[in-house]
Amino acid sequence: MVIKIKNLVKRYGDLIALDHLNLEVQKGEIFGLLGPNGSGKTTAINCLLSLLKYDKGEIEIYDTPMHPEAYEIKKRIGLVMQNVAVFNELTVYENIDYFCGLYISDKQKRRQLVEEAMDFVGIKDFRKFTPKKLSGGLLRRLNIACGIAHKPDLIIMDEPTVAVDPQSRNSILEGIQKLNAAGATIIYTSHYMEEVEQICSRIAIMDKGKVIASGSNDSLKEIIKTGEHISIEILNPQNLDLDEISDFANILSVDLSGSQLTIKSSRGKNNLIPILDLLKHRDIQIGKVFSEPPTLNDVFLEITGKELRD
Amino acid sequence: MFLHNYFYRLKCIFRDRQAMFWTLVFPIILGSLFYLALSNIGNIDNFEKINLAIVLNSDEAENTAFLETVTETDLFNITETSKDQAHELLNDNQVDGIILFDQNPELSVSQSGINQTIIKSFLDQYLQVSSTLNTIITDNPQALSSGLIDSFTDPTEYVTEVTPTRNNPDPVVNYFYTLIAMACLYGGFLGLKEITTIQADLSTEGARVSVAPANKLKIFLSSILAATTIQMVVIALLMCFLVFFLKVNFGDQLVYIAITCAIGSITGVSFGAFIASVVKREEGVKIGILIGSTMAMSFLSGMMVENIKYTISQNMPILSYLNPANLITDSFYALYYYPDHSRFFTNILLLCAFNIVFSTMTFFVIRRQKYASL
Repeated sequence: MVIKIKNLVKRYGDLIALDHLNLEVQKGEIFGLLGPNGSGKTTAINCLLSLLKYDKGEIEIYDTPMHPEAYEIKKRIGLVMQNVAVFNELTVYENIDYFCGLYISDKQKRRQLVEEAMDFVGIKDFRKFTPKKLSGGLLRRLNIACGIAHKPDLIIMDEPTVAVDPQSRNSILEGIQKLNAAGATIIYTSHYMEEVEQICSRIAIMDKGKVIASGSNDSLKEIIKTGEHISIEILNPQNLDLDEISDFANILSVDLSGSQLTIKSSRGKNNLIPILDLLKHRDIQIGKVFSEPPTLNDVFLEITGKELRD
Repeated sequence: MFLHNYFYRLKCIFRDRQAMFWTLVFPIILGSLFYLALSNIGNIDNFEKINLAIVLNSDEAENTAFLETVTETDLFNITETSKDQAHELLNDNQVDGIILFDQNPELSVSQSGINQTIIKSFLDQYLQVSSTLNTIITDNPQALSSGLIDSFTDPTEYVTEVTPTRNNPDPVVNYFYTLIAMACLYGGFLGLKEITTIQADLSTEGARVSVAPANKLKIFLSSILAATTIQMVVIALLMCFLVFFLKVNFGDQLVYIAITCAIGSITGVSFGAFIASVVKREEGVKIGILIGSTMAMSFLSGMMVENIKYTISQNMPILSYLNPANLITDSFYALYYYPDHSRFFTNILLLCAFNIVFSTMTFFVIRRQKYASL
């Protein structure tokens, strides 16, 4: 077991930021912590890293209780923070070398690790640049390089793609998967469900300081009723009888908004073909058709009654 | 770890333009302004030689004696000329007076003033001594061999001037001493930054440092040492500027001056670290407090109004002892002015006490490694 959190409680006055949080992370996982802003993800990470005091609970990393002076555990951890944490006065190379030097004292070894880290995140050409001269995407990459240069076994990434352009985001996500393939266990917090779905092998969904559901991407979607979402563009909606569609088996809801017909069906039954046949028989002219499997947002919506991005 | 952090912190501080401006450039600019504004204050009382025209008579022997006496006084710029030309010079204000040296020497001036009074006093004294000597030589020529006459030409001073101070009082030097005190306390910018950099609740960099397997005390000490090193270099550069460029007099006790600079620098850095750790507000507020308190302390030590320092030491001496800027200023002044070191060491010991208080309180705050909030 890499991480074990038991009954963690953290209060800020009357506000309960973490409410008896329980988590377990296994070796080799990319573990996603998904939740809306304010759900307690970053607080949980800060408690995990012994930066924040907590009111109750136990935290173990590599089967050892975590505390500020647990240097042997800290050596194995890398942190990529939500906000870029680098020194503006130092160059790219110096920044990575400085933070790496807090873990690795051997200069020669460190030089090699810094080169590898720059290579890994693709900022070798900017080694003599100061952070102020880097674009937002490059700055994020530098932030990652500073957190992983010492080759940690456990990497904690707290929303590393916030305010990053799509190209850099993809590059970062690919990098995370490479780190995992190289043997690192990764905890990845985000409020972007697509990212979590894309890279995480196991996911915990958080709300109000609690884990409300956890499991693999597929297993989470299996715990909810919602199945596929069908969206059909109707060109002559006046001829449409919504009740006929509602009569199909496993239909949860049918909604016509303008020319857009949205049908939600429950899990396990695919209704797309029969519905299209019906529309054809009723001489309904159709435009674009989409059919989507349920998302983590549906999981969140069904459990909490609100959107993940609310 | 210690040296790794130390050298990188040196780089960071040295490249921090804002910190370098406030700690080095600003005091140099202010020092230059002081120099421009105050450089003439000390020269107001400087004596300038008096322009004097002398019109001689035909008796060469008497002329020689008079001319020798006038030249030896070093009071006058002498122009030997004719009577007409001398009056022309007087009318054109090129000379302050004319001595017409004849049987009965006459003084001509066109106005009254200090210079004219000095010329008259000189002439009166010359005539009085000449007359006395003539009388002695006429009535008692043996006195020539008894050395009596020498006593007229070489008067003995019966009161010896003993100065209780090392140097003469100089109203200007104190301004520069307060400037150094202010520059020392501006080392607080560096101390403030170092604490911010290592505290997880003050900066993201601090959070990253805090999660590393690094001993907090080691990081703290090496960061503060880096700040102190830079601050000492900055003060050394400022001192070089003041001594070699602006020619400010610090006396000749180099070791003690260096001690004052070093203790002052440490005080500044520890003061900034203290503010950073104790004040629980955003960085801008802390910087505001640092600048405001430093300027207030500099003001009270006489930076803007010289007499403030003395008014406070006369009426509220405790305030003088509780003001680090005043203690630094007074240390320099004690070295410059007083012949013994008791006042200097009192100041230095009080500064050391401030350092201990600032550092201890800072350490007690930053030794926490977990925070209630980030």
